[in-house]
Amino acid sequence: MLPDATVVKHILAEAGLADTDVQETTLGLVCTVAPAEVAPAFAALKDSELDFVMLVDLMGTDTGEDIELSYHLRSFTRDEELHVKCTVAYDAEIASVWNAYPSALMPERETAELLGLTLSGHPNPKRLLTVDGVEPLLRKSSLIRTLQEVRER
Amino acid sequence: MTDARDIATEVGMLAPEGTHDPGLPPAGIRRAPEGVDGLTTEHLIINMGPQHPSTHGVLRMIVEMDGEEIVSAEASIGYLHRGIEKLAEHRRYNALGTLMDRGDYVSGIHGELASALAVEKLMEIEIPRKADYLRVLLSEINRIASHLVWFGTFGLDTGAMGQFLYAMRDREFLVDILESITGSRMMFNYVRPGGVLADLPVGMDAQIREFSDGFDAYLQEHHELLGGNEIFQHRVKGIGTIDRDSALAFGLSGANLRGSGVAFDVRRDRAYSAYDDMEFDVPVGSTGDAWDRYMVRMEEMRQSNRMIRQCLDGMPEGGFTAKVPKVLRPPAGEVYAAVESSRGETGIHLVSQGGDTPYRFHYKAPSLAVLQALEEILPGHLLADVVMIIGSTDIMLGEIDR
Repeated sequence: MLPDATVVKHILAEAGLADTDVQETTLGLVCTVAPAEVAPAFAALKDSELDFVMLVDLMGTDTGEDIELSYHLRSFTRDEELHVKCTVAYDAEIASVWNAYPSALMPERETAELLGLTLSGHPNPKRLLTVDGVEPLLRKSSLIRTLQEVRER
Repeated sequence: MTDARDIATEVGMLAPEGTHDPGLPPAGIRRAPEGVDGLTTEHLIINMGPQHPSTHGVLRMIVEMDGEEIVSAEASIGYLHRGIEKLAEHRRYNALGTLMDRGDYVSGIHGELASALAVEKLMEIEIPRKADYLRVLLSEINRIASHLVWFGTFGLDTGAMGQFLYAMRDREFLVDILESITGSRMMFNYVRPGGVLADLPVGMDAQIREFSDGFDAYLQEHHELLGGNEIFQHRVKGIGTIDRDSALAFGLSGANLRGSGVAFDVRRDRAYSAYDDMEFDVPVGSTGDAWDRYMVRMEEMRQSNRMIRQCLDGMPEGGFTAKVPKVLRPPAGEVYAAVESSRGETGIHLVSQGGDTPYRFHYKAPSLAVLQALEEILPGHLLADVVMIIGSTDIMLGEIDR
């Protein structure tokens, strides 16, 4: 189920991404790259012998300092899964990965909208779930209760 | 009295008498794009929904038509957005199931199970074997109930009516069973971190067996009624084809992926709960058209019924819940837990930083992937096929919008 960390490292190194951090965590095998390296990393992983043909899902988390994007890849020929992570600043512009994985089309729109990011290279970078003017709901700064209510709960 | 012709000339609909060149469109009428053989063709934007009987929830499709043919399609969603992911950050771990019920509201058990599995994985809770069996039993009952809703409404989309009534008859039996066990017909909150809410009530075993014994024959009847109908076959065969590569690229899962020929089932390939004890087949389609998806789901119901009997026969003795604290405080960490829901792989990506509420709770909805694939496969089909292609993929807007 977990791909070999050294193989992943090797494939990424061949694509020009030297010394990528690949670690086994409770989530599975997690590989951390810089935002600009996501696209080349995906291209390499998809065409490698690991054959990660599917992007299962992607999501963003507001860590309190920046936004962490987490991509979930799956290979069917080898029955393995890999998580790729990168951290971007608030209000950053993120490059769409839909060229490698069309399944990113809508989740990317959703992530950008709910965490206040901008999409570049996306064929339809409109908002997906909410209307214009709604604040980025999944930011920790966006409260559904007042701080007072949260404390008294 | 003013002549109608004069009014038309005045507002510019008609060229003044004698000035119109018969080779050109009348002045004032917008010149249409050049068509074949002088026929004027113009693309027409049609808005379907958000309130439409065949959109299975509140989906709005904006389709651009060239005559009867679709040129492009765009889904406009968000009409059911309740912010489940945000609300979950303000709920204790025990209460996450209530939110998940309202995500995919036709098969709530699967959503609850996904969130409970994620919490258990993070806290490393061992749950009693009986709870595993009860989870599988309820999952499969719920899967049949959900597939019956799909079966009935898919027939409605194609213009048939009878199968809907029969499907609802059988589903009612299942929903009654679910109500007797969980106390609710759709919003169960039955699967909790650590186990389940309650054991089967007295006499429930016999009631489920009664359903199970009759259902295979009923299912055959359902299939003959709808799938055996030549009109239905003509309407669904060969439409909405999603080939294997597109299915993988668009991230489909569940029956939609298997209909396209990829034999991946979370129950078998990432076995959770008691599925490692179950014997079942994973049906796979070949071409990935609407008919294949129909056949895969029909066979899935038969397999679910098989598993229901196995669960009842193999039900272990013992408790139905582990000893867990009232307020769950998982350690900091991150997990992904997935179940095979009626619509595909429902996953929960849970991030905890300690504390009694999740830090981030991400709900991976299988229907969202289908929706983006729909935008790709609809062009080239006829307008009348739109509702059928949507129906064949069994999307659920509750989980798309979350």
